[in-house]
This record gives sequence, C-alpha cells and structure tokens, in this order.
Amino acid sequence: MIHNKHLIFAFRLVVGGVFIWAGLLKITSPLDFAQNIKNYQIFPHGGSFFLALVLPWIEIICGVFLLLGVFPRASALLVSLLLVVFLCLVLITIARGIDIDCGCFGSLSRKVDFRLIAIDSLLFFLALNIFFSRAENFPFGVRLS
Amino acid sequence: MHTKKILWQIITIILISCLICVGVNFSLIRKYFKGEFALSFISSEKYPAISFITLAEAENLFVTQNAVFIDSRERDEYISGHILGALNIPYEDRDSGLSLEEPGLSLQDTLVVYCDGSECQSSIQLAKLLDEYGFKDIRVFFGGWQEWVDAGLPVLNYNDSQ
Repeated sequence: MIHNKHLIFAFRLVVGGVFIWAGLLKITSPLDFAQNIKNYQIFPHGGSFFLALVLPWIEIICGVFLLLGVFPRASALLVSLLLVVFLCLVLITIARGIDIDCGCFGSLSRKVDFRLIAIDSLLFFLALNIFFSRAENFPFGVRLS
Repeated sequence: MHTKKILWQIITIILISCLICVGVNFSLIRKYFKGEFALSFISSEKYPAISFITLAEAENLFVTQNAVFIDSRERDEYISGHILGALNIPYEDRDSGLSLEEPGLSLQDTLVVYCDGSECQSSIQLAKLLDEYGFKDIRVFFGGWQEWVDAGLPVLNYNDSQ
C-alpha cells in the first residue's frame, strides 16, 4: 500500500472528484438512472427506483467527504464496497451477454465492457490505498483515534 | 482498525444520503407510490409521446390497421418470427444510427413498439429514442412478442417466409 502523503491526497482528489461528478450527472435524471439499473435485470422494479434515488447522493457525499477529509476512511471503504458491487454487476452483465449502457455517468455513460472494468478496478485500487493510509495523511479530517 | 467507529461513520453517510434523497425527490417518491411508474420509469413530462398498451389495445390497433408495429429486437430474432407486418428497428443498432427514414415512417404515425416481453427493455429504450426523434404517438406494447404468440395472433415465422 502507498503511504506517501501527496499521493494519497491526489488519490482523494481523483476518487472524490469522479464520485461527485458521477453522482451529479445522475441526480439530474433519476428516472433514467432507475431505468439503467433495471436494464441490468438483477434488481426488482421498486429496488431499481429507490436505489436510483439514494445511490447518487451516497456517491456525492462520499466524494465531498473524501475531498474535505471528513470520515475519510469510512468514505473510502464505502466507495470501495460500491466499486466491488459495480465490478460484480459489470462482470455478471458481460457474462450474460446483455448489451446495455452502464449508467455510471448519467447521459454520458459508456457501454458495459472490459474498459469499464479497468476504470472501476483503478478507482478501487486508489480507494483502498486511501482506506489503508496512515492517519497523518488526513490533516484536516476527523481523526479516528 | 477502529471497525466500530468506521461502521458508524458509514451508517451516518448512508443516513445523510437518505435524508437528502427523500427531501430532494419527495414528489417523485409520491408519484411512485401513486403507481405512476408501475410499468416503467418514464416520466410523462419528459416523454409526452410515450404510452403503454395492453394486448387487447395492441390487437385492436393491428386489426384496424391504425398503427405501424415496430419490433425492437435483434435482426436474428425478428427474422425467426415477428408480428405480421411489423418493421424491424433493432435498438442495438442505436450507435450506428437508426434507419427511421427507410421504412417510410411519418412523425404523425401511431407506432406500437414491442420486444420479447415484459422482461425486455429494448422497446422502452427505442420508444425514448423515437420520442426524442419527434414521433408524436408511441405506444409500448409491454407484453411483447411472447404475449402476442401466446394469444395466437397473426405472426410471420421464418418458415412462412421461405
């Protein structure tokens, strides 16, 4: 794991920025995002609807908290868990041969493919590094002592 | 690791998200519980041309020949069997451009879009594209091909066309 203070700060900027951006693009059209979730053919109709309403806000708050250093480890862990779920969804979708847009970035979404797996894996790696980094890397954050 | 503390912080993040979500989307949630999105997540304000029809309504439009039927499934599925007279505009071709002019469609036509059945989504997705394209009356036949076949209504199968 990487413990360099500047690198961890850069990771927080990248992961936080991407999640804020992804969340903002989704909250503008929650019904389209609900349809995107339903297209995965895994979640029930109602589940897709409520997930589409809550998930973008979780992404935005995690992103903002990562940038500000508030609950940084919890935010990084939550982001990591979300990314694991996203990765599983993408893999299952590819394995089932379903041709859909991922819904990850609202109307700017790309198709579910192996490049998406690479992007999610990279974000997962960055988020894990934030989670396991030392407390002094979060000078403005809420310490967990 | 301060597992318990991190767990509480995660719960806090989720609770804050839920509170903001309910506050921001209150009207949408109310519409959901009124049953507005029972079939699909299509807002009538955003897609005014789209409506949903049952088998009986689809059959009526078929018999009276008041609508153009559009099969949104893949080419192979269409060839192996489709509603008699239906045109094929596969949703999967969306990136290479839908051939909407080719079938001689008019924006004023009533379109009945269908795919496999209630589990498939390509009919809804195609209906959205058609709405954005400017078609004024798009009806999604949710029961789709399966319901049509089960009802014994007219179809054109691969063997018939040979």
